Amino acid sequence: MASLARRRATDYTVKAISVGFAALSLVLLAWILWTLVARGLPALGPHVFTHITAPPGAGGGLLNAIVGSLIQIGVALIIGTPIGLMCGTFLAENGRGTQVGNAVRFVNDVLLSAPSILIGLFVYQLLVVPFGGFSGWAGSIALAIIIIPVVVRTTEDMLNLVPIGLREAAFALGAPQWKVVTFITWRAGRAGIVTGILLAIARAAGETAPLLFTSLGNNGWSLSLDAPMASLPIAIYQYAASPFEDWVALAWAGALIITVGVLTLNILSRLVLAKMK
Amino acid sequence: MNFAPETSIDIASAVNRATAPSAESKLKVEKLNFFYGDNHALKNINFEIPEKRVTAMIGPSGCGKSTLLRIFNRMYQLYPGQRAEGKILFDGADLLSKDLDSTVVRSRIGMVFQKPTPFPMSIYDNIAFGVRLHERLSKAQMDERVEWCLRKAAIWEEAKDRLHTSALGLSGGQQQRLCIARTIAVRPEVILLDEPTSALDPISTSKIEDLIDELKQEFTIVIVTHNMQQAARCADITSFFYLGELIEVAASNEIFTNPREARTRDYITGRFG
Repeated sequence: MASLARRRATDYTVKAISVGFAALSLVLLAWILWTLVARGLPALGPHVFTHITAPPGAGGGLLNAIVGSLIQIGVALIIGTPIGLMCGTFLAENGRGTQVGNAVRFVNDVLLSAPSILIGLFVYQLLVVPFGGFSGWAGSIALAIIIIPVVVRTTEDMLNLVPIGLREAAFALGAPQWKVVTFITWRAGRAGIVTGILLAIARAAGETAPLLFTSLGNNGWSLSLDAPMASLPIAIYQYAASPFEDWVALAWAGALIITVGVLTLNILSRLVLAKMK
Repeated sequence: MNFAPETSIDIASAVNRATAPSAESKLKVEKLNFFYGDNHALKNINFEIPEKRVTAMIGPSGCGKSTLLRIFNRMYQLYPGQRAEGKILFDGADLLSKDLDSTVVRSRIGMVFQKPTPFPMSIYDNIAFGVRLHERLSKAQMDERVEWCLRKAAIWEEAKDRLHTSALGLSGGQQQRLCIARTIAVRPEVILLDEPTSALDPISTSKIEDLIDELKQEFTIVIVTHNMQQAARCADITSFFYLGELIEVAASNEIFTNPREARTRDYITGRFG
């Protein structure tokens, strides 16, 4: 029974390796979170939320970056959600098995995994160069391009889960297709669609690369989308690389804010999805 | 090659005997052929559905009976690659012609499916959704319509105190009666039932069979069923389909006691299918 002993040994070894690596990845995550909390929490005073960028030692905060991020993500959502939603709906309702549908789905998958710096460069060429300056608009559109493929994918997946029978039942009552989609299919899949939008926000909130060449960042207080605009990821990028202790501390505080925000959105989306099932 | 039997003469006489004195035909199928892509699913069907009667379609799985039902309210047009040739006269107009609008056809010829399909909304809205597609009613008129169709579908007593709660909370049998109510609410002339009780327990099944008896006072009913006792109990006329062909049509008591065709006899005695 030597072979049985050997098989047991193989089984044990493979199991041990798998468990080891799983533990390693958890340790890394815990380490990151721990470092983040340990360094970010002490720096996270009320001044972070009430003051804008200031010279080193002058007690500045992240207000302009937080507001800038919220504005750009908001505008990106307003632009990206309808496009993503309609495109995902097309794929699920009309594009199944058609050549156009397959092509759109493929392109969307490519976009979903495209490096975000590429999207930044694309918008730089498209909007920043011709209009002669960095702007909040450019940043928002870059983020919208990040959001769209995520929303397309989740919308299509969620609508595909809606049983064909439900659509047929609505058609059988004499409903035209647009009513079947808006009143029946979207309604049946709405929890999943909302989840997709939440995940897209989470993804866009943490992106630095698309903003680097588009909205650039702004050390002053500006709410204008036509001017360069501050954002949390860019502020972290600037502060973290600086030699000043209080700026570095602000970078940690900013990182903690983003992480908590994204984590909240992820947990929220899980709750919405759990409620749906 | 075409092996379809010449059944039209038999049908006419059978229908007359079954539905005397005077049942007008509501739907008249003439030389109907149907294709799923290259698959010839219905072969030269000639068939009349009398008004305000219950017509059952029986036959083994894949014989084409559900396909025919789905042609009557044009569900097949939702799927590219499915096509029908021939004629189906509905009050004189050809159902298969492009001149008739699908949404209008479906409001006049309603359909209830095998699995209950309540919409994810309240019981009230399940009914109002269909009605609003075709009519503008005041709140009071809508309330009245909802009560009317729920009573017709024998579910009013169970539903009246929970009209504004989700329809998904109803039992399977209640959901199916709600789907029937929803179909009636649009006030169609014909109701197509595609194995409406195959997912239900015997008590719910008997409620729906009683309901079918009630409904034929006002509506023309076509029912596809795998349950031959059900066809014998509910239907005035029964048609037997086999491999895409209409084999025999007769009054239900006739076809189940004295079928003309050997294949019909074999099927109803359980020798195949």
